[in-house]
Amino acid sequence: MMHNPSKVRQKIMKKWIMGLRSCSSSHENLSLSERRWIIKLSADLALASVRNGSRRWSRAIIEEASRNPDNKGLIQRMLGSGCDYRSPCLIPREGRSDGNGAGHVTKSMWVATSSKKIVKRCRRARRSNGRAPRRNEAASIAKRLVKKRTQLLKDFVPGGQDMDDVSLIEETLDYIVWLRAQVDVMRALAHSLPATTSI
Amino acid sequence: MSSRSRSSRHQGSSRISDDQIVDLISKLRSLLPEIRNRRRSDKVSASKVLQETCNYIRNLHQEVDDLSERLSQLLQSIDPDSAEASIIRSLIM
Repeated sequence: MMHNPSKVRQKIMKKWIMGLRSCSSSHENLSLSERRWIIKLSADLALASVRNGSRRWSRAIIEEASRNPDNKGLIQRMLGSGCDYRSPCLIPREGRSDGNGAGHVTKSMWVATSSKKIVKRCRRARRSNGRAPRRNEAASIAKRLVKKRTQLLKDFVPGGQDMDDVSLIEETLDYIVWLRAQVDVMRALAHSLPATTSI
Repeated sequence: MSSRSRSSRHQGSSRISDDQIVDLISKLRSLLPEIRNRRRSDKVSASKVLQETCNYIRNLHQEVDDLSERLSQLLQSIDPDSAEASIIRSLIM
C-alpha cells in the first residue's frame, strides 16, 4: 500500500524538522507544554503535507489545525501559501454547503439516499415476514453493532464525520499506514537523542 | 487505489455492495497486528475488526502524544554546552 516506506519516513522527517526549525527563534523561551504542542503539531502537519492533500484525512488535519488562529503561522511556514489546503491541488471548499472543504456533495447525497432505501427495504421485509426467526435477529443485531462501531471509527479518522461508510474504511486503510510512518519517525528521533540526565 | 474504487462505485448501481465492504474489512484486518497474529482459520466479525481498528488508531494517537511529551523533555534538558546539543541545534533548533 505504500511504495517506499523509508522514503516516506524521510519525507516526513524532513518536513517535520523544517517545521521545528521554523519555530527556532522562540525555542529558548518556550514552556514544556508549548514545546510539546509545536512538536506534535508540526509532526501532524508534516504527515498531512507529505500525503499532499490527495486524501480526505490529510485535508481534514490541516483544516482542523487551521481553526486555531495560533497555528496559522506554523501552517503557513510548513505548507506554504502556494499549497495550503485551499489551493487547487486540494478539493476546494465551495463544493460543500456546510463549509467543510470537501467537494463530495454528490457522493454523500447518493449514499444517504441509498442507505435510506436499504433501511426501508429491511423494514418492509421484516413486516411482511410475520415471525422473526432467531437468525434474522442475530443478523440485525450484528448489523447494528457494525453500525455502532463504524460511527465510533469516524471519531478516530480525521474528517471521518463527513464520510460515507465505504469512504471511511478506505480512508482508514490509508490513514493507518501513513500514521504508522509518522509514529516511526517520531520514535526514531526520540531514540536518537541523548537520554535526559535530569529527573 | 482511490480511482479504481471510485469508478466501481459509479457503475450505475445504487447500493454499496456487500462484497465491497467485505473486501475492505478484510484489508483492514490484514493491517491490524492483533488480529493478524491469530490463526488464519479464525473468523473475525466485521464489528470486531472495526473495534480493533479504533483501538489501534487510538493507541497510535497516544503514542504520538507520548513521544511529543518525551521529545519536549529531551530537548529541554539537553546540556546546552554539550556536543550533542550543537548537533541538535543545527538540525532542529
